Amino acid sequence: MKLLTPVVPDRSAPLGAANPLAKLVAALLLMVALFASLDGVTAGMILVVLLGLLPVSGVSPGALLGRSWLVLFAAVSVAVINTLLAPAQLGPTLLEAGPIRIGADTALNGLALGVRLLAIALAGLLALATTDPVDLADALMQHWRVSPRFALGALAALRLLPSFAVEWQTIGLARRARGINAGRSPVAWLRLMGGRLLSLLVGGVRRATRMAVAMEARGLGSRPCRSAARPQPMRAADWAWIAGALLLAVGAVAVSMLIGTWRPLVGG
Amino acid sequence: MTTASAPRPAGWRMIDIVVAAVLAVAFGVAFLAWNALYNWTTPLFAAVPAAQAVMYGVWLLPGVLVGLVVRRPGAALFGGFVAAAVSAFLGSQWGLDVLLSGLIQGAGAELGFALFLYRGWHLPAAVLGGVLAGAGAAIHDIVVYYPDAGPEFKIAFAAFVVLSGAVLGGVGAWLLARALARRGVLAAFESGRDQRRI
Repeated sequence: MKLLTPVVPDRSAPLGAANPLAKLVAALLLMVALFASLDGVTAGMILVVLLGLLPVSGVSPGALLGRSWLVLFAAVSVAVINTLLAPAQLGPTLLEAGPIRIGADTALNGLALGVRLLAIALAGLLALATTDPVDLADALMQHWRVSPRFALGALAALRLLPSFAVEWQTIGLARRARGINAGRSPVAWLRLMGGRLLSLLVGGVRRATRMAVAMEARGLGSRPCRSAARPQPMRAADWAWIAGALLLAVGAVAVSMLIGTWRPLVGG
Repeated sequence: MTTASAPRPAGWRMIDIVVAAVLAVAFGVAFLAWNALYNWTTPLFAAVPAAQAVMYGVWLLPGVLVGLVVRRPGAALFGGFVAAAVSAFLGSQWGLDVLLSGLIQGAGAELGFALFLYRGWHLPAAVLGGVLAGAGAAIHDIVVYYPDAGPEFKIAFAAFVVLSGAVLGGVGAWLLARALARRGVLAAFESGRDQRRI
């Protein structure tokens, strides 16, 4: 399962070296701007800048595409649904087939929503694919005062991921060896999947119980103060990422407003 | 380990946190498969695109399940959010928006249990949690993905999401929690104790 091997971020790349929380905040700022605007100009500008950031992200475009190419499907289906099912078809007729008429303006709006989805997805992908979960947990504890028991507990659970992937396959093979087969019935398939999931969960809970005892035995969370082994400082460059994202978000909306293409989510 | 009659300790125990997180991580893995399935089956729903939302409930499952198993205020929110975070880290195609969805869905499930004052951990509470998680998810998705679609689509989509949340998310989570208790792995939890026959 290729999807289950996390992309290892390159810490020497500018985006890979940035503080995880700075990247998270920057991506959230862009997402707010994208949520609020439905037009293709705002989304397009942000998408172009994000694509420009790919070389400094330290993640190879191939690896990123390998994990996220399905979003292209989603973007197409969002564009199609918003075009075909719009309450009114506006603009000159683009296509007419029987009762279906597609207006050029509506199609353009649908396309813009597809671009908007791509930009939303890429903003988050860039922030997350360049972040090591360990760094994120450290930063959350150091800057946002997230309880170490919760942050480290979640991190310990995350460490089980590769073994879950292996276990999932083993359970599947064991079931096949016993001749358990859904045939062509989707209902039987769903039931079998439920059983397979339950086996995974049972194994997971057993292991989690042992892990919790071990963590508690080592004194995790028993003292109110703890020092940080891996400091995650907020440097000037980290503030610059946030400022840059804010500038891009405001700038893209402002440009779109100036040329009269901006379409707000509410009150448009 | 405390006995069933002993008063419950105030805060979260380490075992509550780790088991909640592990359940959520397992679902984060399952989400990857489900995300792909959702995309591949999109053409099957070409006639009624809104009907694809019947598949939505699986994404709402972990919040409700973790709430049912751990039985603490905040458990459903934590479960929904961690499952989404795992899925985001593994490279869900939705990127960071998954975190937002996870928070909203988890909060919906949490509200379901909160409305029962964190005393009811039964099927109705699970279904209510699934329904509210579905309602939150539907609002988020309509804003993010389908702002231009007609009102018929929006209403049908929301109805399918809520229905799926009730069935897959609510009843599904309840069945899974019961099955987990029957396997005896929840011995350290109150949820594993009420099921035991004497």
